[in-house]
Amino acid sequence: MSSEARQFGDLATQLVQEARRSTLTDTLLKYNDTLVRSIVREQRQLDTLITQTLAQDVTFTGSNPAALLYQTAIQRNKRCLLAYHSHRTDRLRDMYWAVGGALPHLLANTDIRAKLAPHEVDYLREYNASIIEFRSDFTAELDIAASITHPPKDLHVLVRVVRDCGAIQTEVGSIDFRYGQRYMVRRADIEHLIVQGYLQEV
Amino acid sequence: MVYLCPPHLASPSRPSYTDAYSDILAAHRRSPHTSASSVIILVAPDVDALCAGRMLAELFKHDDVMHRIVPVAGGAHFNNVCEELAEYTELHTLILLNMGSIMELARADFIGNFAENLHVHIIDSQRPQSLQNLFVGGEEGERVVVWDDGGAEEMSELRAAWEALMEEVSEDGDASLEEEKDDDVDWETRSSRPGKRQSLADGNGSPGKRRKLDKAHPNRISRGQADAYRRQVEKHYSSGYWHAQSTSGTVYILATVLERVDNDLLWLAILGLTYQYVICRISREDYEKYHSIYHDEVARLNPPAPANDSYGLAAVGPDDHSLRTTEELRFALWRHWSLYDAMCHSSYVAGKLGIWKELGRKKLTGLLAKMGFSTLQTQQLYAHMDMDLKRDLRDKLEAIAPEYGMVELSYPSFVRCHGYHTQPLSAADAVEGLTALLDAATGIRMEVEVDGARNGGEWFGGGHVWRATGKWMTDDVPKGRMNGDEDGAGVEDKGEGEESTLASWTVKNFWNAFDALSDISCLNESLSLAKSVHRAIIRTGSSIIDKNDIRMTKGYNIVTIRQGPDLELFCQPGALLRLGLWLADALRDRIQGSAIGKRTRRKTIPLILACFNERAHAYLIVGINSALDFGDVPKNEFGGLFLAAQEYSHTRMRYASFETHIVEVHEADFENFVGEVYRVNERY
Repeated sequence: MSSEARQFGDLATQLVQEARRSTLTDTLLKYNDTLVRSIVREQRQLDTLITQTLAQDVTFTGSNPAALLYQTAIQRNKRCLLAYHSHRTDRLRDMYWAVGGALPHLLANTDIRAKLAPHEVDYLREYNASIIEFRSDFTAELDIAASITHPPKDLHVLVRVVRDCGAIQTEVGSIDFRYGQRYMVRRADIEHLIVQGYLQEV
Repeated sequence: MVYLCPPHLASPSRPSYTDAYSDILAAHRRSPHTSASSVIILVAPDVDALCAGRMLAELFKHDDVMHRIVPVAGGAHFNNVCEELAEYTELHTLILLNMGSIMELARADFIGNFAENLHVHIIDSQRPQSLQNLFVGGEEGERVVVWDDGGAEEMSELRAAWEALMEEVSEDGDASLEEEKDDDVDWETRSSRPGKRQSLADGNGSPGKRRKLDKAHPNRISRGQADAYRRQVEKHYSSGYWHAQSTSGTVYILATVLERVDNDLLWLAILGLTYQYVICRISREDYEKYHSIYHDEVARLNPPAPANDSYGLAAVGPDDHSLRTTEELRFALWRHWSLYDAMCHSSYVAGKLGIWKELGRKKLTGLLAKMGFSTLQTQQLYAHMDMDLKRDLRDKLEAIAPEYGMVELSYPSFVRCHGYHTQPLSAADAVEGLTALLDAATGIRMEVEVDGARNGGEWFGGGHVWRATGKWMTDDVPKGRMNGDEDGAGVEDKGEGEESTLASWTVKNFWNAFDALSDISCLNESLSLAKSVHRAIIRTGSSIIDKNDIRMTKGYNIVTIRQGPDLELFCQPGALLRLGLWLADALRDRIQGSAIGKRTRRKTIPLILACFNERAHAYLIVGINSALDFGDVPKNEFGGLFLAAQEYSHTRMRYASFETHIVEVHEADFENFVGEVYRVNERY
């Protein structure tokens, strides 16, 4: 251990607290790479300590308090790391669904992108790929990405453009969405644009 | 044949509204891969067009037609929009509501800009119509479809005259073709009335080239004949501007034939008609003609009103959205105001009693006292007035008001119940609210009074600044943010001169009113805005009369507003027109009273009302031909006058709306322009 004052598991606590803060404030914090790395380093140190202790204890009787202590610390660290990452993936998945499964839209946002670790981006891509694969079987009958909180009542919907999004190709031709104007369109065509905040239902 | 006749005149050879509608549907369905942006409805900013747009949208929605509604503020904005639309290759149906009938659209330089399969449908209540749109055939002519109300059927003579003239022109040599061209190119200023202008040039006594040419080609129609034809066509254009069947009425007929009529559509049609009447576009006679149709429709679609409530005082149940017929009093928003205020702010009462003077107000109090209404009760909101007074109100008025010269205090109208959301809303009140929203929902700072705050003793704390409700209230905040954050998003609002801000206000106001059509709470709130508009009108109107700002020059009453608290409001064409109508009503009796002795023939004096627009450095001018009697609507001749004046004085004139008698002239040109208007009038 580098610092005298620190106990085993201090770093892991910090990590968990960060996750908790993120949940409470409902914001995505930057992936804390340095902290994760130092915890992993601590794990290795603990591992060496265990091996050393066990090596010294030649007459192993089954109860070695020191080794037990180290092992508990290792297990706790592991749980904290897992909790942190599970929290991260949950958040990412939530974000993914919040924009209606539009991954490019999510990743194009530099703010969000800066907060993600490279392997998190990979995770999102793969997650997206598996979703698409899953959907492809019954995409004609059911759109599982559709919102369930507000079931659609109409095939068509009157929308108003709140952010310029240019010409959009739909199944029935292209529509040039201009800021501030209203369009009567097929709901299925522009559902994702509503979710992404380009259009607003009137 | 490129105009449609109403269904009762239709036959297999003569297409009607339904044929046009099914053509639109067919065109939409035939091209499933490009149908998303193929139908566009352009709507003028008035209540009639607004309702018609809403009705059409409803019909299209039933038929799964994807469409887009684009509000258009006025002539210049129309050109911009058309330029933009010309780029849309997939567009095949363009519907113009309350605009375009006077413009010559069946020409290569308008319709040629668009994709080849585009059809333009014109549903417009404004008259006269451009003969070219109505009668020209061929490739371009077929693509412009005018939804006529039967008036075109009676113009067969005119048609013959026009066709003969056109033929002559096309056979003529370069000279007259050139002349014709010269008339045509002014599309940009929307002064596309060749018939009118040409005739003015001819009538000027200048040796016409055409006459000489006539002699050179003796085998064509004789000179006298041609002149007669020309006079006929000229008469059509110069006889003045008026309104025929409301646009929403036309759409309602379409819905009737499609058998899709319901209470909502009927209500919208009624609003359109009431608007026409309230804004003096149609006479009492015409109003009653159309009213009787809607009266029958209301009886057909609704259960009879409960016996004890013939005035439409309350809804029967929470789901009661029925329409009822009722007599509407000519008081401004009287169901939502105190009786005294309502009478004070109605132009009819104002004119009869001279409300702008102390004496007039005394008369009004006297009238109320005679009716047995205490001051306390008349200062009370109508909703809080004593019930027996409410019941007796009409009888008392009928008994007492004639003593004060008010005989036409009521007209037949409708109310609509809105469950328990509000007391039944009358068509006239709804129109007031919608007009106020169209004129002043955003872009203008308006103070509105809080109901009931007056008798609470809070004289100075009773008002607040009007803010548009719902989506439009929150709208400003993110936009401000977006202007900073993302470029592109707010460009429309930033900069680009006054032109676009004004247009964008109109667009915002339009959507505001559009939403209010389906949202009763929005509409209810708009009534307080309407009251503020009324207050502004009476404030400005009485100050004009008080200060004797009306100059009488060469047979015209001219009023120029250069300052005042409500300058901004009256820069809106709609609001200025209302002020003009108020003045016309107020002045009618006053001037007659003084002039009636001298002349045997009564004659009204046309009114020119101008308001200075500080931002644009321009004057907004409205010309009103006031009627002799209340309820009469003469044709408005200012459209032609203004056009001729513009021609002679070479001023920059712009149409501020789609009505030809409302124009905008630059500050520097104003005096010149008005002088020219007198001169033109003297000449003819």
